[in-house]
Amino acid sequence: MHLLCGCLLAKKWSIIVKKLLPLLIIFVILGISAVIFISMAKNDQPMTIAKGNKEMKVLDFKLNFTNDSHCKMLIHEKRNALEVATPSGKTWFFDDPACMVEWIQDKSFKDSSKIWVYTLDTKRWIDAKKAWYGVTNKTAMHSGFGAREHKIEKSIDFNEMSLRVLRGETLDNPKIRKKLLGD
Amino acid sequence: MNEILFSNQVIIYLLSEATLFFLLFIAFIISVKILIKWDFNSFSPTQFKLEKQAYLVSTITLFVFLIKFILLIYFVFTVDSISVLVPGAMCGAGVITANEYGTVLLGLKFLLLALLIFWFYLQFYDTHTKEHLYFKHKSWVFLAIFVFVVLELFLDFQYFLNIDTHQPVSCCSALFGQLEGANPLPFGLNIPLLLTLFYLLYILVILTLNLNYKVVYIVSNLLFLYIAYYAVVYFFGTYIYQLPTHKCPFCMLQPDYFYIGYFVWGFLFIGTFIGIGDVLSSLVIGIPNLKYQKITSYFLSLFVLLCTSYVAVYWLKNGVLL
Repeated sequence: MHLLCGCLLAKKWSIIVKKLLPLLIIFVILGISAVIFISMAKNDQPMTIAKGNKEMKVLDFKLNFTNDSHCKMLIHEKRNALEVATPSGKTWFFDDPACMVEWIQDKSFKDSSKIWVYTLDTKRWIDAKKAWYGVTNKTAMHSGFGAREHKIEKSIDFNEMSLRVLRGETLDNPKIRKKLLGD
Repeated sequence: MNEILFSNQVIIYLLSEATLFFLLFIAFIISVKILIKWDFNSFSPTQFKLEKQAYLVSTITLFVFLIKFILLIYFVFTVDSISVLVPGAMCGAGVITANEYGTVLLGLKFLLLALLIFWFYLQFYDTHTKEHLYFKHKSWVFLAIFVFVVLELFLDFQYFLNIDTHQPVSCCSALFGQLEGANPLPFGLNIPLLLTLFYLLYILVILTLNLNYKVVYIVSNLLFLYIAYYAVVYFFGTYIYQLPTHKCPFCMLQPDYFYIGYFVWGFLFIGTFIGIGDVLSSLVIGIPNLKYQKITSYFLSLFVLLCTSYVAVYWLKNGVLL
């Protein structure tokens, strides 16, 4: 008698479980969708690239929340920061002129893009190709190239600065450092 | 000449791949002939000859495909072992990204693994019918696999010939380390949500597999594979290395970690591909029931259990999590 009751109970239980399993699957799918949607809604990652800037204008960006596209570090200050805007509407951000030069050298839009730099002297965004660069300034990646709107003694133009970066003649290089700053 | 080509492992690997390709090439030529002339209802001597040749092709293919599984593991082992020759590489992660062919080659090998398992299912169903009902299905899949094998061989040689032993590569910390402040996880997930998704997907995979919800199962298992990769690299892996900053899918393949990576990735990929191959073949052939639900469930459960046990053991030993 007990055995019969047990068998019936087990059969009943298996029927209930079989009916509940599809419901459980629906709940699991809902749970998975909820996790993905919540994460995507809360997705507040630092910005690395901005899109839709077809006019190639300077874009405002959040400090400490935007990554340099070359060295991957967060950009902590506006001074000496750069933006590269391409005709396709994409804009990249950099914390040091050396990062920008190293990053852009093999890009197809090297000549067609607009490069902006935030100057140390006038504290505004200007065309980086028209800026003057000091060689012993304190910069984010210790290259020494501080951008200025007005020419000062020993400052160099954009082409010279790019050449020096590509040759490795930055303040980071101990030989150059010794030559420019002494011991 | 490239120094990499003097490595014993690379020589063995490339020679084996070339030999297997030669065998497959023979099978390919015969397969094309069979596909054109095959007529099972015919009793002509040509058809009898073709049936004998079909048996030969199946035997060659079965042998080559079995060896290919072993060679995939050996490829991973080779890549890992030559990390000592490439400056900057600490494990296979640096070596595989040493040129543009490595990552594509590894991806292609996994695609081939999935296709080979699918072919095994078709072979199984075909040999269990008296009339070789699925012979043409099987042959077409074989031809598709052969095209990928040609590409694989080309990439194999291109990859090993183009590893520059004088050019430094990035180590795994540079490749998988986080950007300053940026989140490497998909869908903007954080670690707790990644783990929630990981376990929920595992439950969904097991439930759909056992209740025979084929399409939902395929989608959920592919999503599980994707999420599991991130869960292992960015969470479970740190417990294998017992270092919160060490995030790498390759280092766990090394002897320092008792080769556990082969088991972790092996259980995940084999479980996934056996399950998906089972469902796909049953959909193609039109068979309602799945063949290897239990084996798939075991492999995936072993994977989840293995990953979880590393965290549990660490917590039991130290009383804290990383």
